[in-house]
Amino acid sequence: MGDLGAISLWIALALAAYSTVGSVTGKLRGSGALVESAQTAMYATVVVLFVSTLSLVVSFIARDFEIAYVARHSDLAMPDHFTWVAFYAGNEGSLLYIAMVLSVMAAVAVWRAPERVRDALPYTTGILMLVLTFFLAVMAFMANPFDKLPFVPQDGEGINPLLTHFGMFFHPPALMAGLVGISVPFAFALGGLLARKTGDEWVDPGRVWGIITWALLASGLLLGSWWAYTILGWGGYWFWDPVENAAFMPWLALTAFIHSIMVQKRRGMFRMWNIALINVAFALALYGMFMNRGGSVPSVHSFGESDLGWIFLMFLAVGLIVPFIIFFWRYPLLKSAQNLDSMLSREAAFLVNNLLLLAIAFVTLWGTVYPLISELTSGEQITVARPFYDQVNGPLMLGLVFLMGVGPMLPWRRANWASVRRALTVPATAAALTVVLLIIPSPPGGGLGWGRPFAVAGFGLAAFVAAGILMEWYRGARARHRNSQENYAVAFLHLIWANRPRYGGYVVHLAVIMVALGIVGTAFFNTQKDVVLSPGDTATVENYEIRYLGTTQAVFGNRTEFISSVEVYRDGELLDTISPNRAFYPSFNMASTRAAIRSTPIEDFYVVPSENLSNGDAGLRILVNPLIWWMWVAGPVMILGTVIALWPEPSRVPARAPERAPAVASA
Amino acid sequence: MSRIIHLENPSILKILIQTILFCLVISLSAQMVQAQTPPLDESLEEEAQAIDRMIMCPVCPAETIDQAQVEISFQMRAVIREMLAEGRTREEILDYFVDRYGADILAAPPKSGANLLAWILPIVGVAAGLGVLFLVIRAMSARNEAPSSSGRGSSAPLRTGSGWRRSSNPANESAGEPPTTPPQDPELSPYLEIVDRSLASRRGRHLNRPDSGFPGLEDEQDKKS
Repeated sequence: MGDLGAISLWIALALAAYSTVGSVTGKLRGSGALVESAQTAMYATVVVLFVSTLSLVVSFIARDFEIAYVARHSDLAMPDHFTWVAFYAGNEGSLLYIAMVLSVMAAVAVWRAPERVRDALPYTTGILMLVLTFFLAVMAFMANPFDKLPFVPQDGEGINPLLTHFGMFFHPPALMAGLVGISVPFAFALGGLLARKTGDEWVDPGRVWGIITWALLASGLLLGSWWAYTILGWGGYWFWDPVENAAFMPWLALTAFIHSIMVQKRRGMFRMWNIALINVAFALALYGMFMNRGGSVPSVHSFGESDLGWIFLMFLAVGLIVPFIIFFWRYPLLKSAQNLDSMLSREAAFLVNNLLLLAIAFVTLWGTVYPLISELTSGEQITVARPFYDQVNGPLMLGLVFLMGVGPMLPWRRANWASVRRALTVPATAAALTVVLLIIPSPPGGGLGWGRPFAVAGFGLAAFVAAGILMEWYRGARARHRNSQENYAVAFLHLIWANRPRYGGYVVHLAVIMVALGIVGTAFFNTQKDVVLSPGDTATVENYEIRYLGTTQAVFGNRTEFISSVEVYRDGELLDTISPNRAFYPSFNMASTRAAIRSTPIEDFYVVPSENLSNGDAGLRILVNPLIWWMWVAGPVMILGTVIALWPEPSRVPARAPERAPAVASA
Repeated sequence: MSRIIHLENPSILKILIQTILFCLVISLSAQMVQAQTPPLDESLEEEAQAIDRMIMCPVCPAETIDQAQVEISFQMRAVIREMLAEGRTREEILDYFVDRYGADILAAPPKSGANLLAWILPIVGVAAGLGVLFLVIRAMSARNEAPSSSGRGSSAPLRTGSGWRRSSNPANESAGEPPTTPPQDPELSPYLEIVDRSLASRRGRHLNRPDSGFPGLEDEQDKKS
């Protein structure tokens, strides 16, 4: 099977290279046949890479330890369903996964591309296939997943225990797919530029693929946080780790992009800006993939470490510089269709939103490279970690939340103060009420906000945004209800259905607010306690009390598990008996924990063992994390919003009809 | 990388020995923590945790001593609590660790000396960005108010024309109708501009209507009108 996989890898490389060259030269020479055949080659890469993927999967299932990659990332004890995780557990396999995803996305994107981008499509194909060629070449020459060992070991090394978690089935694949997927909107933008189609042709596919990859990255980030929360054993979910940052930055740039592309779609503005944005997002995505394999900064996540760093860095440089050269070459063609009407308009709000998002991205980038700069200039070694990002990015994020409340309330083009006042009365009142409730110094439950101005601002702004969205839903549904006698539920559904991009966006905004609740709740109101308990001992944290009953050991083939039993009482009443556990993997010399979490919308009660002592004592970290439940629930809500926003329009009008409509009549 | 660990018969004895050794190490350190850590009152413990989060674990990649569950971070946490109990301040404690391990033991660059740059540059950058954006928006909206037909070649008004038209009918756009292409005939442009201007004024009035602040209704109204 391994040979079949290796051979198909080479075939895929040849096909992708041919498709790159073929579609571009075909387009330049005006040879339709060449373009056509290059496109066919692109579709063929999907099939060939599928064969390659399948043969690696089969090799895993068969535990074909002659293949070095299989031997390194699985063993006989591994359950078969972990093949899915083992597949991308290392550098080589994750590259194959990335190539597979890219070829599928490229094929679907080109196949489903709207008529209007037809002219630029050969360039788009060429760019996508160039990226694919890069990944395939790296695999074929430097990191082949089908490389063989000189001997066949009896058993493999086994899968990294940190990866044997439910979240790992989705977090890495979603992130990798999202990172490589940015190539698609990027290829549409750049293809349009090359074909001198500098108008709004690429906006629709660019937006759709921008949102798809955005959602992939967002779910990947959330799932990764959830994984960190349940398994890394310190009670947090996000650490501004260099690799986390590497996935976070392109997501930020994409967030900016999917907002400002709406301005181009609706108003024909920001043409240059959108192309620049997607270039930046693409470069940041390449940087993200570079960080993940052989990046220069230590991280807990760099599972695919390798010496490919320099190759990726070179490709990154090319991916950053060449598009901008093309951009400036075509610059004269990129005039906006119109100008901004007013500072007080949705367009202007979007621009500020873009600025803040990019500011967060560049603060993050700055934090990542500053240690390097410091060492090169002054020779001083410096760490830039969480406190820095919290302090610098925190206020910027609050600003973003504020804009999230204001922007959608502003009409396009120009708002007047009276209408803004009307639109913001309810949200502002909600925000003010929240703030007052938080700082009234009368217990119980009051006065929480004292000394925590950022928390008060965070909750106040969350209320501001949520109230604005709910108010608009209510007013829209009421208007429909009055006009059409539909009942409120039906009216509401129709309202959403009538303008899916906007209402899908609102659902996503609500999800973001839910995440914000979790962030503010845990950042400012959590309680943490480290205790060492003997069996029978109790410890108190806030109004919870735990009684540690003892630890049992269970020896498995690849690990020893220490399973603690802990009774949880609240206000003297037994809630539950939970079993946080800690496993030690001798062959990895690594311990991995599973926190026991009692989760409610109000707060999580979280117990994680930090150590197990031979006399039966246990070191436990106990946390009360308010509101973090909302963060995990936000994931599905966000996906729902994305699906609403992307749900295709029914084909009410033939695609070309409006082009022939008389220019003035449509007004 | 290619080293394979052989576990033909993952011998229980071997695992047991390793486990016991592991536990021994852990228990020694833990007992040390127990011995060294006098229970602090709540506000001091809160301060101690805040300090834990500002100090990196010297042996683990990219983790603070608050996160890392290894011996040295247990010890460092104990030292912090001890120093706090003695009445030392946060600064003194941080200085103590910097003296011992160097400045990179801090999780964020110190806000002094050359490292001030790390903190100031983002703030300056964001402020400058906002400033530039303000100027750009002002310039753009000012340009829009000036008569656009004079001395700007034919292409700009043309494009303006096509854009106006599109924006004048958001109801259609939300139904996914692709924007129309700019008219090719330059003769049309003056005419289009008049239409555009009147549309703009109509739309301006439109937006002043009481409910127009709520975009959800805006579309509805556009459809009706």
